[in-house]
Amino acid sequence: MQKVLNKPLTNTFGWLHMNGTSLEIPEETEEKAIVLSPSEEKQLILDDACPNRALHIEVQEGAVLKLIQISRSDERGIHHIEVQLQKNGRFEWYRLILGSAAVYDDCKVTLIGDDSSFTARIGYDLKAENRMDMNCEAVHLGKRTTSNIKALGVLDGQAFKLLRGTIDLRTGCKGAKGDEYEDVLLLSDDVHNQSIPMILCSEEDVEGNHGATIGQLPEELIYYMTSRGIEKDDLYTLMARSRLDSIIQTLPDEALREALLSR
Amino acid sequence: MSEEKTIIEDISREFYDFRFEENAAYKVDSGLTEEIVRQISEEKNDPAWMRDFRLRCLGIFHRTAMPDWGPSIEGLNMDNIVTYVRPNTRRMQQSWDDVPSDIKDTFERLGIPQSERESLAGVGAQYDSELVYHNVREEVSRQGVIYTDIESALRGPYGDMIKDHFMKLVPPTDHKFAALHGAVWSGGSFVYVPKGASVEIPLQSYFRLNAPGAGQFEHTLIIVEEGAYLHFIEGCSAPKYNVANLHAGCVELFVGKNATLRYSTIENWSKNMYNLNTKRARVEEGGKIEWVSGSFGSHVSYLYPMSILCGAGARSEFTGVTFAGNGQNLDTGCKVVHQAPDTSSYVNTRSISKSGGISTFRSALVIDQKAAGSKASVSCQSLMLDDISRSDTIPAMDIRTAKADVGHEAKIGRISDDAVFYLMSRGLSEDDARALIVSGFAENVSKELPLEYAVEMNNLIRIEMKGAIG
Amino acid sequence: MSEPLLSIQNLFVSVEDSAEGILNGASLSIGKGETHVLMGPNGAGKSTLAGAIMGNPAYQITGGTITFEGENLLEKSVSERARSGLFLSFQNPIEVPGISLSNFIRTALEMRTGKKIRAWAFKKEVKQVLDALQMDEEYAERDLNVGFSGGEKKKAEILQMLLLKPSLAILDETDSGLDVDAVRTVSKGIQEFQKDKDASLLIITHNAAILSALQVDQVHILVDGRIVAEGGPELIEEIEKEGFSHFEEAGVSASEEGKPNE
Repeated sequence: MQKVLNKPLTNTFGWLHMNGTSLEIPEETEEKAIVLSPSEEKQLILDDACPNRALHIEVQEGAVLKLIQISRSDERGIHHIEVQLQKNGRFEWYRLILGSAAVYDDCKVTLIGDDSSFTARIGYDLKAENRMDMNCEAVHLGKRTTSNIKALGVLDGQAFKLLRGTIDLRTGCKGAKGDEYEDVLLLSDDVHNQSIPMILCSEEDVEGNHGATIGQLPEELIYYMTSRGIEKDDLYTLMARSRLDSIIQTLPDEALREALLSR
Repeated sequence: MSEEKTIIEDISREFYDFRFEENAAYKVDSGLTEEIVRQISEEKNDPAWMRDFRLRCLGIFHRTAMPDWGPSIEGLNMDNIVTYVRPNTRRMQQSWDDVPSDIKDTFERLGIPQSERESLAGVGAQYDSELVYHNVREEVSRQGVIYTDIESALRGPYGDMIKDHFMKLVPPTDHKFAALHGAVWSGGSFVYVPKGASVEIPLQSYFRLNAPGAGQFEHTLIIVEEGAYLHFIEGCSAPKYNVANLHAGCVELFVGKNATLRYSTIENWSKNMYNLNTKRARVEEGGKIEWVSGSFGSHVSYLYPMSILCGAGARSEFTGVTFAGNGQNLDTGCKVVHQAPDTSSYVNTRSISKSGGISTFRSALVIDQKAAGSKASVSCQSLMLDDISRSDTIPAMDIRTAKADVGHEAKIGRISDDAVFYLMSRGLSEDDARALIVSGFAENVSKELPLEYAVEMNNLIRIEMKGAIG
Repeated sequence: MSEPLLSIQNLFVSVEDSAEGILNGASLSIGKGETHVLMGPNGAGKSTLAGAIMGNPAYQITGGTITFEGENLLEKSVSERARSGLFLSFQNPIEVPGISLSNFIRTALEMRTGKKIRAWAFKKEVKQVLDALQMDEEYAERDLNVGFSGGEKKKAEILQMLLLKPSLAILDETDSGLDVDAVRTVSKGIQEFQKDKDASLLIITHNAAILSALQVDQVHILVDGRIVAEGGPELIEEIEKEGFSHFEEAGVSASEEGKPNE
């Protein structure tokens, strides 16, 4: 069955082909409901195993879910994550894509309860004909809710990446704050990077920020680093690695962190 | 403090809202049929190729779908729009004295003849569907600069040049309203700046739509040849009627090698206007397009000036401000396509939403594989003035070469209480303090405008901010 | 004096988009083991001179020569200059997330020498230097310059200098904008560096305070892109008392003379 995936909350110009991705959807999808009871803390590691997955997550009052999700297979994976956060609830999403054939991620987080928070730490290293197509939405309903999406990645070969990141600040979410930051290092002239960082806002008392840096290394950085004796080519290798490392360093699981850092 | 917000139906636009009884010499029936397009073509005495082009565009219009992004345009019923209204003057005049008095009065009240005397190198004034006045200073025409209405240019020595450029940059297949424009366009300006010429003082076109339920479809075609410089200013306004008006103009700008064109607009259509305008520039090697754009009026706007950087080292700068008040849904932004090496683009926009207004910043930045060494920087800031308004930022980027430097930043927020407090502690009223802060927020644009336009823009901001008779 | 370590002859430098030169025939040389001070008013071209030596791509060399250890420096890339023994302390070093300060220095050292450095031995060396500077050990594990205060950034530059052991270190306003405490650390770092009798220094500053504890061999005054005066440490005192004004007048006349025929 052909289906449009990763459709963002609002459209942009049609000729950019960023308003969702039409794809043949496989029948077998592992569907799972996860409910965190009040004040429960939980860490979940999903490393590779299942290519197609739909998670429906409910984080009740004061509960914390840390979801670490890693893709490194040669298969195509379609992931759908839906999260509802109640008062003081927290959802931390750690998403690493280490040279997977094709990843389609749709992560929708609704910050319903006051003071709930969502952080996303996304790191990717795409080569050859790897594809990453992601939609990440933070919908702020509750007061003083916060979202922070950070995506760092490297594209090489003929890799393709599309990141739609949306911070939606709805009426009533007074005191809310949404931040999104993206840094993409491009290593080959055959890569294709698409980014559409949206901030939608219908509340006055809020703050929304987005920043993105895409392309080669900035000249000042090259100058600084080479002035300490590092060759330009080595610098690209070093910096590509550092992008991922800085995401890996934030992983809450120490064993996994150490294993990935010494990869 | 925020509880004290006053909500006003519509702000006073007295200055622009005066209107004269419609006194048109000729108008076509409302709606859009082949018959009407043929009538317009006949009335305008088109060359055969233009008549055929219009009919082809009509076909494209009928088979093209409505845009699937942006605000709703359901309130716009093409069957009610009068596409062609010729004012009661037989031909375009070169002296204000020869312009019929009600029309002359309109432009007097908008201050156009005065600006012409004081600070412009040439003026074109369009009333409904036709240019009624066109004049250019002698020292400018002596440089070989042509500034005239597009119809006479079409029949004059520049006819072939127009044929070669007309709707080549914005083809009628681009979108539904480009096709509509192609079918029923009327009026607008043609500017030709020859190689090496430099027009130091700006040229201005002013578009005034007076007839109710009418559409204005002027076409602006500017060709700036190698090494030349031009600053062109476009102003627009209309009185408010209870029926929808439509503006679907088209601006095509050709910027030659090492040439610079600055295109400034202060748009202040009335708040029943559907402003579905298309603007595009093509920039050759080492050339530069500078857009300065202030959007204040209209009920609904779709406006994204596009820069196509097709020569090495070509540059584009876009500076814009959009103020959406009560009943307004303004979808504005820009598009930049880098197609050649070492091109650069710079986008700096501000949007302000107030009293239920919706403003959307929508942009597209494309750096294709041929554009190695290109740099792009996008910065957009939005200000929410209350919690019944809306502000969206939808910037799309598509990068296909590693040798690119793209920086993007977007910010949305409110006026800081500290800033208001600080200004009030110096004796300003809260309203004045807020108006001052908003003017400062829009300074990116006002500082790029000639002084008298900056003053006009700050006036518009003040009127919008106060929402009272001012 | 034998052949100097660094020799700059009649250097002209300009930046893109500007016809006017920033350096208009500057000359100076520094011998092995010497400490030189470069002073001058704002906009004189001090940082440009430092950048030109290091190879900052923002500057175009339009005339003159720079030799280092007898070799033409201008032919070398930035990293080659670094590996031949040059070090420049930046006024505002870049933040680099994902690479810790100690990791960065180790990588730079490995790339300079082409040899792997054993983690344990390196860690010990870093600790020694940190101790000497009275800096916290945790400092070296933080991401390079990320979230560092102005003072911390300058200290991190000094730490790099001490571990990379260049033969000539150029300190570009390393003391400016620092609190007393940070100035002390920087000053201590420079003294530490001077302990190596072969190590040379070029200190760019307009603040005499940092120099009081240091042994200075020579002072150069740069005005309008040219060296207008040279002398011993007594020049520092003179400037402290009288400022640059009389040098500036000299500079004007000097640059008039020095103008190429137009």
